[in-house]
Amino acid sequence: MQWVVATASFFASAVEFVEAFTIVLVVGVTVNWRSSLLGALAAAATLALLVATLGTALVQWVPIDALRLVIGILLLLFGLKWLKNAILRYSGLKARHDEEAIYEETQAALRARGKVDTSSSRFDLFGFLLSYKSVLLEGLEVAFIVITFGVSAATSTVSRSSGIASAALGALLAGLLVILVGAIVRVPLAKVPENTLKFIVGIMLTTFGTFWTGEGFGVNWPLADVFLLILAAIYLGAAFLLITWLKRVKARAIDNQPVPTTQTQEVKP
Amino acid sequence: MKIIKAIYNFIVGDMVILVGVTLAVIILALINNVSALAPLKGFSGPFLVIAVLSSLVATLSREAFSSRS
Repeated sequence: MQWVVATASFFASAVEFVEAFTIVLVVGVTVNWRSSLLGALAAAATLALLVATLGTALVQWVPIDALRLVIGILLLLFGLKWLKNAILRYSGLKARHDEEAIYEETQAALRARGKVDTSSSRFDLFGFLLSYKSVLLEGLEVAFIVITFGVSAATSTVSRSSGIASAALGALLAGLLVILVGAIVRVPLAKVPENTLKFIVGIMLTTFGTFWTGEGFGVNWPLADVFLLILAAIYLGAAFLLITWLKRVKARAIDNQPVPTTQTQEVKP
Repeated sequence: MKIIKAIYNFIVGDMVILVGVTLAVIILALINNVSALAPLKGFSGPFLVIAVLSSLVATLSREAFSSRS
């Protein structure tokens, strides 16, 4: 057992697992757990297939930068859409034409007619794909970590397979730890109001999207993965400023509205 | 056409965001592939963040001012 390799792999993989699990967690809480977990399982199956087929050649055959770029751009688009809607709701501008309210009304009408069964576990393609993409990308990064750490640990006395086994053990422990912590965090997270969660998801998707798109273009972010926190802080700050500004815009619009003149009509019996 | 519209609505559903992100990606691709623009590579990260924020501000402005009128 190569403890140095296992420890290095543990920490490096833990970062990737946290990133993947965070998205699985928020998709589970905001969309539903069925879609989120199905997406994660489908990604794990794809990953297992890729690793079983390509083995250590995975590092050469999978264009990780291109994958980061595509997934990063998609997450940016999803994230900006969510963030925009959450900001509009917070500022009070979304209530005028809230598609969720329309959706709820339609569902209620259909339910009244006995046409649909809207249980919280219905399959949601958006949630599934979001979970799938994130777990696949991060899982691939973990596979890369295990292979590169394991192969580079091979010396004249230590075999290549022993190095990979040590790195895989470190990654496995990191994965189990992240899942355990996530399972504990899941319960209090479910009590957070829905729009707040959607706002957080928007911030996170935009953050991850920017980070991965940048990496896809070869950007070396300062402080590596820690820069995710800085990016999240930048977007959070900007979002709060935008909410304040939009609230003022709305207040000004209300002030400028002409006062309706009351017309009294004579009602004849 | 309906399929394209469904995909567009599923992924983004907002033309301002789509155009903003696409422009940012095109400019970053140019910075990465055109040798004359190579000195700008160091600004790719900050540029991407600014482009994302600009897209967000643009789409929110459109919503705010269209709902006012």
